[in-house]
Amino acid sequence: MLRRLTRTDTVSGWTLVSPAAILIGIFGLLPVLMSLQLSFQKSDLLSDKTPWVGFDNYRKLAEDPVFLESVKHTIIYTALFVPGTMLVGLFIAAALNRSVRFISVYRTAAYITMAVSTISQGIIFLWLTDRDYGLVNAALNAVGIPSQPFLASPSQALYVIVAMTIWGWTGFSVIVYLAALQGVPAELHEAAAIDGASAFTRFRTITVPLLGPANLFLVVWLTINALQLFDEVYVTTRGGPLRATTVIVYYLWDRAFVQFDAGYAAAMAYALFVVILVITAVQFRIARKVVHS
Amino acid sequence: MTRHRLRIALMAVLALVLAACGGGGGGDSASGPTEIVVWHGYQDTEGEVFKSLIDQYNNEHPDVKVSDLYSSNDLVLQKVLTAVRGNSAPDVAYMFGSWAPNIAKISSLVDMTDEVAKPDWQWDDFYEAERKAATVDDKVIGVPALVDNLAIVYNKKLFAEAGIEPPTPNWTWDDFRAAAAKLTDPAKGQYGWLIPADGSEDTVWHWIPMLWEAGGDILNQENTKAAFNSEAGVKALTTLQQMAVDDKSLYLDTTNENGPKLMNSGKIGMLVTGPWDLSQLSDIEYGVQVMPTYAGSTGGHQTIAGPDNWVVFDNGDERKQAAIDFVKWLSAPEQVKTFSLRTGDLPIRASVGDDKAVLDELNNNVPGTAEFVENLKNVHNVRPQVEQYPAVSEALGQAIVAVMLGKDEPKAALDSAAEAADAKLAEK
Repeated sequence: MLRRLTRTDTVSGWTLVSPAAILIGIFGLLPVLMSLQLSFQKSDLLSDKTPWVGFDNYRKLAEDPVFLESVKHTIIYTALFVPGTMLVGLFIAAALNRSVRFISVYRTAAYITMAVSTISQGIIFLWLTDRDYGLVNAALNAVGIPSQPFLASPSQALYVIVAMTIWGWTGFSVIVYLAALQGVPAELHEAAAIDGASAFTRFRTITVPLLGPANLFLVVWLTINALQLFDEVYVTTRGGPLRATTVIVYYLWDRAFVQFDAGYAAAMAYALFVVILVITAVQFRIARKVVHS
Repeated sequence: MTRHRLRIALMAVLALVLAACGGGGGGDSASGPTEIVVWHGYQDTEGEVFKSLIDQYNNEHPDVKVSDLYSSNDLVLQKVLTAVRGNSAPDVAYMFGSWAPNIAKISSLVDMTDEVAKPDWQWDDFYEAERKAATVDDKVIGVPALVDNLAIVYNKKLFAEAGIEPPTPNWTWDDFRAAAAKLTDPAKGQYGWLIPADGSEDTVWHWIPMLWEAGGDILNQENTKAAFNSEAGVKALTTLQQMAVDDKSLYLDTTNENGPKLMNSGKIGMLVTGPWDLSQLSDIEYGVQVMPTYAGSTGGHQTIAGPDNWVVFDNGDERKQAAIDFVKWLSAPEQVKTFSLRTGDLPIRASVGDDKAVLDELNNNVPGTAEFVENLKNVHNVRPQVEQYPAVSEALGQAIVAVMLGKDEPKAALDSAAEAADAKLAEK
């Protein structure tokens, strides 16, 4: 039964949400608005003078070759990282979705990469892929392939970071897919099996469509994270060699805190925000047509 | 989980808000000692020695209470900025010398020009490079806190194995190149020389002394235009090109962290580095020698010093005076000597560095330190004190890395870096 909110309900309602609302307001909303203001100013964060420059910072973005390059790197990274993480995750989740002995050990093993901090992960990969002393090159040499420079090469570094982050995020997509797979009703599979459908056909026509919500969640979540790549780049390549791994957020950080150009960096953050907003909206729109929920 | 990226940008802004809420506080109370706070990045031995100096000061000066706060040197500027914006700046902070032109713009920074002119500071006793690095447009923005410089550190055993004589002060860069080639053995993963190659200032400042030795400079006299794309610049960068691309005797360390480790495990013949790496080279027998010269150049022997500063912020007259007094005491010859002897850091005053007994003891503790003290005499230039230096450095860093990776020619790379630097310098 619905009843109209009374005055006291309104008061108690606001009382209950206000601690969270105030905290989010101060620590979330306010900085976001302040950085919007910053994006219309010329500020180095040092001097007291912060003259207004209108849309200058945004105009400069369009002409900045390094920014455009960083957009390109971010797109390449996202286009490889998101499907890569989902495919590897789905494969492992399907393999783990059965009752065998020690299954919880395998499941823990699949998830454990999520517990490794990005910093340690970066250092491990730096060591593994070292041009002269790394294990990966030692293995390549053993089968007759010459040593590769990997992170030291402008043409390979971005792909090494893709591989590294897929490794790091696979556990996450495994967990999401595993939960979704367990929600697939067993009787559907049984009925199809009686009708003579092969395991592959059943996977394709029953399991995959029922994974829709999980796919949607992963696409949105992983894309947002991919567009904001920073830690792994900071730890391993510092945007190099020759800016080959300079992605948007790394460049943003560089401009704000190495070159003291905070207004410009804030404009970059807002440009990225708009892009993420648009991409997410598009993803949801497509999903509404495709996903069975 | 540590998976929030964009938040780094947001957090910076957030920190500003937080600091604004924090407010000032402390210091103005009529009763009790004046309390001042020092932010520094000293850890381990340095941290202990620094703390004991503070204790000593507090005991000798009951009217003042100095407390210290550890703050990683790499990030201290961001933290100080946040605190300054929120009116809760530290009274004294340790700041990298390369930030000086930028720090000079902070309004609550205390101008030390008149202060250090007083005779009891013995300002001229600080090495010239330190004084230059603490001065921006004739304004003294801080007091020297640390000085170092670059020299060749070489592995004696690898030289003997390769059958070559160790470096001498008479070495030219051609000698250096020839030795590096002989020290290189790809099969053993052994290289003649290692250079930080991430394109940051760390890469750039290894190349700058070469530029100076070849007779060039970074910017013109007025600091308005790039000057590094000169004949001297091309000559200095060609040396790196020859070693990295032709001889492959130069290990490009894109992580900037492998230098001392690889050196200590006997994989690198020579490292151009500062005294801070010596204590990590416990497994090898090393020697220290000044950087080579360019034959026929008037540049002679040079090196680059990276002096850092103690910077004072204005938190009211009482605290300001207490902070100045503390910094003055800390950088007085007696404390400089104590700190240097107990940490192995180079003395920041010439009167201490010229003291034979101090040198002997330093060298006894960490062999090679005396050569680095001696090498301070080869510091003739400093990086230009302009606020656009980070942009100049970045352009140069990309040019140097492009050449070392064989992606560009020295002249072309330096020209395009000069173009980028000029555009930045013109912005102002």
